[in-house]
Amino acid sequence: MASDQHLLTYFTTMDNQGSIIVRDTPKLDLDLYISNYQGRSCFERLLLIGQCSVPLCVDALKAAIAEAKSGKDIQRYRDAWECMRIAAPDEPEAVFDQAWVTSTEKSNKVETHRLEAELKGYKNNLVKESIRIGHRDLGEHLEAIGDLNAASETYIKMRPDASTQAHIQDVGKHIISIMLQKGDWPGVSGNINKVLLNGSSEQQNADQPYQKIVSGLALLGSSKYYDAAKCFLETGDSTIAQQHNDIISLNDIATYGGLLALASMDRQELQSRLLDNSSFRTYLELEPHVRKAVAMFVNGRYSSCLAILESYQADYLLDIYLQKHVFTLFSQIRSKCIIQYFVPFSCVTLDTMNAAFAKPGESIEAELVSMIKSGTLNARINTIDKLLVAVSVNPRAATQKKALDTAKNYENEALERIRRMSLASAGLEVKGSHKIGGNSLPGVGDIWYESGRGQVVPSESAA
Amino acid sequence: MDKLAPTLLAVPVEGPVDNATYDAAVKNHVQKLSKILKDQSGDIISHGSNFLELLDPSVHSLSYLAILHTLLIPGPATSVSRDTLLEKLLIFLLTFDPIQCRYAGSHLHDLFLLAGGGDILPPSAAVEALATAILRLDPTGSMLTTAHVCLARLAYSTNNVEPALQAIDKNIVFFPGMANPTEPKYLCDISLPPPAYVARETGLTGTLKPPQVMEYDLLCGLMYCSRREWAKAYAAFERIVAFPTREGGVSKIMVEAYKKWVLVSLLLKGKLVDTPSYTGASASKFYGSLAKAYTSIAVLFVADDARELKAEVDKNTTTWLDDGNGGLVKEVLAAYQKWRVLGLEQIYSKISLSEIRQQTTSAETGAPLAKDDDVEMLLQNMIISGMLSGVIEKNDDGTTFLTFLSPSTNLSEQGVAQELASSAIRLKQLQPLFKATRDRLGTSKEYIKHVIKEEKRIEKSEPDPTLAFDAHVDDEDLMGGVIATG
Repeated sequence: MASDQHLLTYFTTMDNQGSIIVRDTPKLDLDLYISNYQGRSCFERLLLIGQCSVPLCVDALKAAIAEAKSGKDIQRYRDAWECMRIAAPDEPEAVFDQAWVTSTEKSNKVETHRLEAELKGYKNNLVKESIRIGHRDLGEHLEAIGDLNAASETYIKMRPDASTQAHIQDVGKHIISIMLQKGDWPGVSGNINKVLLNGSSEQQNADQPYQKIVSGLALLGSSKYYDAAKCFLETGDSTIAQQHNDIISLNDIATYGGLLALASMDRQELQSRLLDNSSFRTYLELEPHVRKAVAMFVNGRYSSCLAILESYQADYLLDIYLQKHVFTLFSQIRSKCIIQYFVPFSCVTLDTMNAAFAKPGESIEAELVSMIKSGTLNARINTIDKLLVAVSVNPRAATQKKALDTAKNYENEALERIRRMSLASAGLEVKGSHKIGGNSLPGVGDIWYESGRGQVVPSESAA
Repeated sequence: MDKLAPTLLAVPVEGPVDNATYDAAVKNHVQKLSKILKDQSGDIISHGSNFLELLDPSVHSLSYLAILHTLLIPGPATSVSRDTLLEKLLIFLLTFDPIQCRYAGSHLHDLFLLAGGGDILPPSAAVEALATAILRLDPTGSMLTTAHVCLARLAYSTNNVEPALQAIDKNIVFFPGMANPTEPKYLCDISLPPPAYVARETGLTGTLKPPQVMEYDLLCGLMYCSRREWAKAYAAFERIVAFPTREGGVSKIMVEAYKKWVLVSLLLKGKLVDTPSYTGASASKFYGSLAKAYTSIAVLFVADDARELKAEVDKNTTTWLDDGNGGLVKEVLAAYQKWRVLGLEQIYSKISLSEIRQQTTSAETGAPLAKDDDVEMLLQNMIISGMLSGVIEKNDDGTTFLTFLSPSTNLSEQGVAQELASSAIRLKQLQPLFKATRDRLGTSKEYIKHVIKEEKRIEKSEPDPTLAFDAHVDDEDLMGGVIATG
């Protein structure tokens, strides 16, 4: 019971900080899930799960602490421990390991000094390649101990000494990796072009997965879902993509690609770009439910599609890149389903709509109202007969109205033009008199008040 | 009296004659009249009333005018009873011969201003007579004169809008003092465009300054507001808001008009539309900063929160009253709920009255209406005024509901054809205005200079075919060299 109490206070504080709390148990298995990843993103993922998921909280935090201790980043350890301390103070991991912190701190300092001294030596020798390697080593070390800004600066210093295309690409990748960790999406988009090589097509093929993954993430981060979806769908060779599991796993590519495509593409595009896409099929095989959901959507079984996605919502919410966008994506997919559902009909009863889309006992009407208001659904609600009625366009009437409006506008414009020409030729324009004088409002003070006007606008006496 | 009679009683022209004869005859007559006016004004004053009885104002317009002018200006003469004199003035204004009076010059204009002053005639009669007289002189009503401004002031300040409408409804496109006036050959030529004879030179109008031009439009706008003709008011205010400016000019009337324009825009279109593209840039800047209270209302007007709108309106009560816009703001508050109901048309095809009551709030009270009956009343008013196209119906189970009718079902093919035809006719009617402007501007010195300059420029720049060929080859050689060495 006591531990529940701790968890409650923990999640209350988390909630107050505005982070998302996931109460449902996700379908993922924590160990299996995390074994898909390598590198620094492991810790971020574990900490996020620890902060957001109620059922997995303690396990994830334990794993996060273990992960932090296996590395050199003291701040990460502190973060994870801080969470652990509140969430489960009774666990052995909740005791602060001062000895590890002191020793790591010390060894980090020694290592930094060593690398800096080495770099100085290289600089004195003026060997370009050595200087570049020196910078890279120092940068990687700084990144590992969590000093991202310094790491990024050091990586940038590699650039003057980069002599081949491959080196320049290397610099770009290092900088992008820092930007991904900082969530600097525009920065990632800006740098991704520098990684592009104009070498042979073979080389380009090998680099394609990396480019597509990173630009996909950057576009997702900037909420450009359609472009992001296209990137993920074009990732290409999965064996190469596998090498980039410090950024993203193959399962993630399937999920991101599928979800984003569902939210942003129409049926035909889904079929041709996603389901008929042979290179993407290998990814979809890892996440069959995504494939199923898309297939359901394409086949018009919208409620099943939504049900599948709904059941995986907890998983999506525990993903570091997807979390912020899950609710937007879901509502977009939902709106699309409703629109698609309604397309073949001129009139649908609200009861049928409720049965297809609303939770039991709830009505979809409010949602329909907001969709119609925002212009996504072109229909009208009939609350008396409980119907949703499609708006019939009447091109003849529209054309008639347009013709009459055009004639009217032409007439008005012609008159106004003649009037303005006359005014100009009579020299009746309002002139900006004294350019910059004591009066800050040029011309505003001019006198138009006349004796006869007193009663016309009584307020004028105030002017 | 006998000495005066032959001249005064003479009919300058009889029967249809050509322009030259008419012109000569009337000019001759005017000469004689002015001589009499100069030498024998005492006699006119003493015998004036007799002559007025004898003369027919529609035939002896000039003589009649001369006598009236002498009797009334500088002050009403004592020799004639005031009532008779005023009656004669009215008769004259309503029946004078417009062609003859083109030659009368400033005398006619003096009488217009006298009538428009509102001091001697009862205002309602004065407005009607002046409006008629203005249109008699210039049936197109397209030329703004000092008499127009006078009329607008009188009509608005004495609240006699109705009789003035015939004149102020006309589209004004010409103004006194336009550059390059064409000297008309015969003033009596009926094909003359209005600016040719209603001009400072002929004395039929005085000089106008920009503030007066704008004042006229402002007064028109206010008059339309008082009649709740929002579309016309909107157009009138817009003319001031987008008044042509130069060198960053802006005037106080423009700002005042902008404030009213914002409110009328809410009433007419339910939202604030952008100012016309030709609005002066600096004027727009001033509008933004000086009319903030108004634009903030416009923002709240399209939002769903009636209470906030009401609070904002209450907060700035003194501003509205200081600007003289209290009435319009009240109208805006009253219109808020109506526009909310119209907004429902975008969402519902049929909706029960109780749902309307729940979903819309009155901005006058900041609360929903108390009873469904109140909603029904509101809807009925909207339907009657043509704002809303819909019908209120009753279900079998007793729920009253509103059905929105689609607005596109009301015109038949013939109806459209008719509308288009009438629109075409109106456009054709613009032709004379267009022609007058074109003739005037096309013959101005500046334009002709410009045309000559353009022609010379084109002649000069017309390239010699052989030269061009050389240049072409040269060019190619240069490029070739660059590619070869680079």
